Amino acid sequence: MGTVENQIFSSYERNPDLYDEIYKKHGEIKKVYKKLFELYGEHSIEDYVNLNTKAKSSFFNQGITFQVYGKKETQEKIFPFDLFPRIIAPDEWEVIEKGAIQRSKALNLFLWDIYHDKNIIKDGIVPLDLIISSDNYLDQMVGFDPPGGIYNHISGTDIIKHNDGKYYVLEDNIRCPSGVSYVISNRTALKRALFGVFNHYQTYSVTNYAENLLDILETTKPKGIDIPITVVLTPGMYNSAFYEHSYLAKTMGVELVEGRDLVVENDFVYMKTIKGLIKVDIIYRRVDDAFLDPLEFNPDSALGVPGLFAAYIKGNVTLANAPGTGVADDKAVYTYMPQIIKYYLDEEPILNNVHTYHCSRPDELKYVLEHINELVIKPVDEAGGYGISIGNRLTSEEIEIVKKQVSESPRKYVAQPIMSLSVHPTYIEESQSFEQRHVDLRTFTILGQNKDFVLKGGLTRVALKKGNLIVNSSQGGGSKDTWVLKN
Amino acid sequence: MFLEYTIVYKAENNYANWVKNAHWQFLIIPEQNETQKFISTDFKNSLNTKIEYSINGYGFKTIRLHPKIEFKQISFEASFRLIKKDVNPFDFNLDNHTENHYKKLIELEFQIEFERFLKKSNYTNLSDSQKRLFIFDKSLSIFDNLQNLNQWTFNYLFFNAEATDVNTKLSEIIAMQKGVCQDFTHLFCALARQNGIPSRYVSGYLHQGNGFFGDSQMHAWAEAYIPEIGWIGFDPTNNILVNSNHIKVSHGKDYSDCAPLKGILNTLGANKTKHSVQVLRQQQQ
Amino acid sequence: MLARVANNLFWMGRYIERSEHIARYLNVNYFSSLDAPNTKSQNRQFVLRSMLFMVGTPEKDENKILIEQDVLFQIGLDCDSPYSIINNIRHARENANSARDLISTELYESINKFYHFVLNYSSDAFVKNGLHDFTSNVAEMTAILRGKIRGTLLHDDIYAIIMMGVNIERATQIIRIINAKYNDALIARGSYGDKINNSFEWTTLLKCAESYDMMRRFYKKTPTTISTLEFLILNPNCPRSIMNSLNQVYGHIKILDPSRAYDKSTTAFLIGKVRAEYQYKYIEEIEENIQVFIENILQNLNEISEKMEKEFFNY
Repeated sequence: MGTVENQIFSSYERNPDLYDEIYKKHGEIKKVYKKLFELYGEHSIEDYVNLNTKAKSSFFNQGITFQVYGKKETQEKIFPFDLFPRIIAPDEWEVIEKGAIQRSKALNLFLWDIYHDKNIIKDGIVPLDLIISSDNYLDQMVGFDPPGGIYNHISGTDIIKHNDGKYYVLEDNIRCPSGVSYVISNRTALKRALFGVFNHYQTYSVTNYAENLLDILETTKPKGIDIPITVVLTPGMYNSAFYEHSYLAKTMGVELVEGRDLVVENDFVYMKTIKGLIKVDIIYRRVDDAFLDPLEFNPDSALGVPGLFAAYIKGNVTLANAPGTGVADDKAVYTYMPQIIKYYLDEEPILNNVHTYHCSRPDELKYVLEHINELVIKPVDEAGGYGISIGNRLTSEEIEIVKKQVSESPRKYVAQPIMSLSVHPTYIEESQSFEQRHVDLRTFTILGQNKDFVLKGGLTRVALKKGNLIVNSSQGGGSKDTWVLKN
Repeated sequence: MFLEYTIVYKAENNYANWVKNAHWQFLIIPEQNETQKFISTDFKNSLNTKIEYSINGYGFKTIRLHPKIEFKQISFEASFRLIKKDVNPFDFNLDNHTENHYKKLIELEFQIEFERFLKKSNYTNLSDSQKRLFIFDKSLSIFDNLQNLNQWTFNYLFFNAEATDVNTKLSEIIAMQKGVCQDFTHLFCALARQNGIPSRYVSGYLHQGNGFFGDSQMHAWAEAYIPEIGWIGFDPTNNILVNSNHIKVSHGKDYSDCAPLKGILNTLGANKTKHSVQVLRQQQQ
Repeated sequence: MLARVANNLFWMGRYIERSEHIARYLNVNYFSSLDAPNTKSQNRQFVLRSMLFMVGTPEKDENKILIEQDVLFQIGLDCDSPYSIINNIRHARENANSARDLISTELYESINKFYHFVLNYSSDAFVKNGLHDFTSNVAEMTAILRGKIRGTLLHDDIYAIIMMGVNIERATQIIRIINAKYNDALIARGSYGDKINNSFEWTTLLKCAESYDMMRRFYKKTPTTISTLEFLILNPNCPRSIMNSLNQVYGHIKILDPSRAYDKSTTAFLIGKVRAEYQYKYIEEIEENIQVFIENILQNLNEISEKMEKEFFNY
């Protein structure tokens, strides 16, 4: 046991303007964090540095890394991982879980509708132009019934806690949301490093994701198939999420294939094995729409499978998520989510949406241009935190540039009030101490025919740079193990 | 009256280096519809590779092949025989509903139903100044306006096989006033859409017995939708309405939906491609 | 199993095995030359040339003075030389990466650790005084990998493919080492008139194949040309012999292709045929023309590898 000065929280500084998840308003530690706080406090900084180094090498040796392409040598890096877990109390989790399922179901009904009768447009709730002008809207999918009626089998919902203590959804990711493997490897790493802390908490396991994924994917098998063969389609080992693809294939017990391993014959899809061709029925694809089939989409795609889309349109194979699903995770569609939920489910949204200004509407554009320093400006169709401008962080010159971009193509931008993401104690290597860092939460929801599942945990992402609000790993974010407590 | 057509489509590809793992998709089979009925279809390739009949993303029939051997030269020959019903292109009722028709165009339901053929596409993009190149005269019927647009397009562009290729933008074509049937069709579609008329690009064959432009390649024309009447074919390259000389293969928002031949191949160096189309007609009793 | 992945696993096995043999060859030749009984074998240039010969890039210019540190770097840690140990391990890991979902976590972690060990090894330290440490670690780690392959994978077709790679590579490397040492023995004799029969190089050869102790136990005599070659080529009980490797390969192909039908186009048939040929060879036949024998066996091994590619990895 270290002395008081050595204890790792002794130098923790609390900024009163930020919502710190482990403290109550008046500076008292929240009940769920009390024990954890004590347990971590027993370690000296030296102990902790040691544990942190071990945890890092555990990730490294397991090859849970991504590549950074440098001048000479490609470097391997691990996703930064923080050993201090985030705890979500049972009552809070219940809201998140129900809210995530509600959104996934609503999005699925929305996708069915816009690719069929477009009633929500006819009823004047969502503008026609918003849908058909999206690059992710696929004409080919109009009138097509995806197997099992499911478009967004897998959804990743990004949720934050604002300084009002409420959860808000920032975006729905329903193209190829990634990160679930880190939920599991974070848990493994934390168990290896600090197994003792688990004795004091009743935490839900996160290892049942893959079995549920396979189970639910199989509810959307093509017609006439008894026992479907499922595969995971990856762009290949140089993709930054390759570890995740191989992890999912391995834990589902299915083959991990690349485009060149598949071939289409007579509109059925086969994989090339050492024993010849074997038919494939369900493809969990981690390849974007544009690269799926060079004969139908981007002809330069070397990742795709010529003829795959025809096999799909003929109903001979399931693609998860369905092509064209991306139209609904467009940031402009996000702003209609409360109305979308109400329209299809006749329910109030369980999770809040951040108020959004549409730059395509002249009056709202005017407001945005006048209040740009209070707003976050987001491009409608960029993923991964690219192209985001945070108004109060811009110089006056930068503001003028953003204003110009927005006024030139208002359809491309939306704006939201600057949300204050909650903060969580995070170990910072440079200062060898705990500091407040902003966090969000990505939950993983799987939707099938009459079956659904939310992983009880999710990925807590941390913006490691001080004051930074963008948590994406491509922008230097790290992550934390996330505990959902049992009742 | 019925006409019997025989269409022969040939393509030959030569490569400087060995080609491995190639895939081809042909979108050249005439559509089965009210006026076109199939007799037979035949497809040969010089490598004797197995061929597959399939569909593209819009349900039009395709032929696909994937040679398993390496090669430097491959040629294809397709021949189709079909019966075409000789129809009068003016065979519809042109009552005086002009005003109602224009009203229909701005109804949300109508715009939703035809969104695919009303929105901009890569090949039908007009610059702001070009949008006013042809404005409908609302005192005339939609059909009359479209006929005028057909003639206007025919007069505006000069047929020139060398001036453009598949990468030329519509705005450039408009500027140089030259082009081939694809360009005439894209211009027609773009301006029809600009006036709120759903219109689509059609790829097909033209019987050239009457000395029309068509360049013994595949031909392109447009179909525009007139409320209460339906899709009507316009051939702006020849300033005619589509008739029994036009044999339709497929339609789409523009050329990119209808490319007759798509190839995915792995080869370095130069390649040469030759296409030819022959359309023969005999009258049937 | 996917054909592409099978190919990766096969080559993973080959690269692991290859890196071990190169490492041991460097180690044994270098250190046994230090106190070799004749001056030729002690000569550093002679040893460096032997190393280059073994990895397949013999130095043709007889007058060139080789620089020890350059040669060691080139064979050990030079990312730009295709045969270097570091590149072999890099390839082993890359092949493992793309088959990651099929191999055990334990095996993958060991390969990964191995790779990072080699990647982080200072080339300065290696060429100055790290040769022993580095090469014995490489040999040690490949032994761990073999243990993980045997102990953490289901003995099914995945295992069979990896082991075929390992054994075909082992036979290939053993024959390359024999070739290199035979060549050394000829040179050593040529200059100093020793009898090739009792050359010091035979002891080195056996050590390069980690078979010296086994051989002594079996023959209880100083190695000669005949006994050394007989042991390393024909003795089925020597785990490093060509015969033993062929027997293993034969066993594993039977898992991939259990059919008993007579089909001369299959890999199984070819392996059986090659194996039968060596099973009934005697050493005097080989001794008559060792050079021709070496070329033949290398060609046979190549043919097997090519046939496998056509039958199983063609994608």
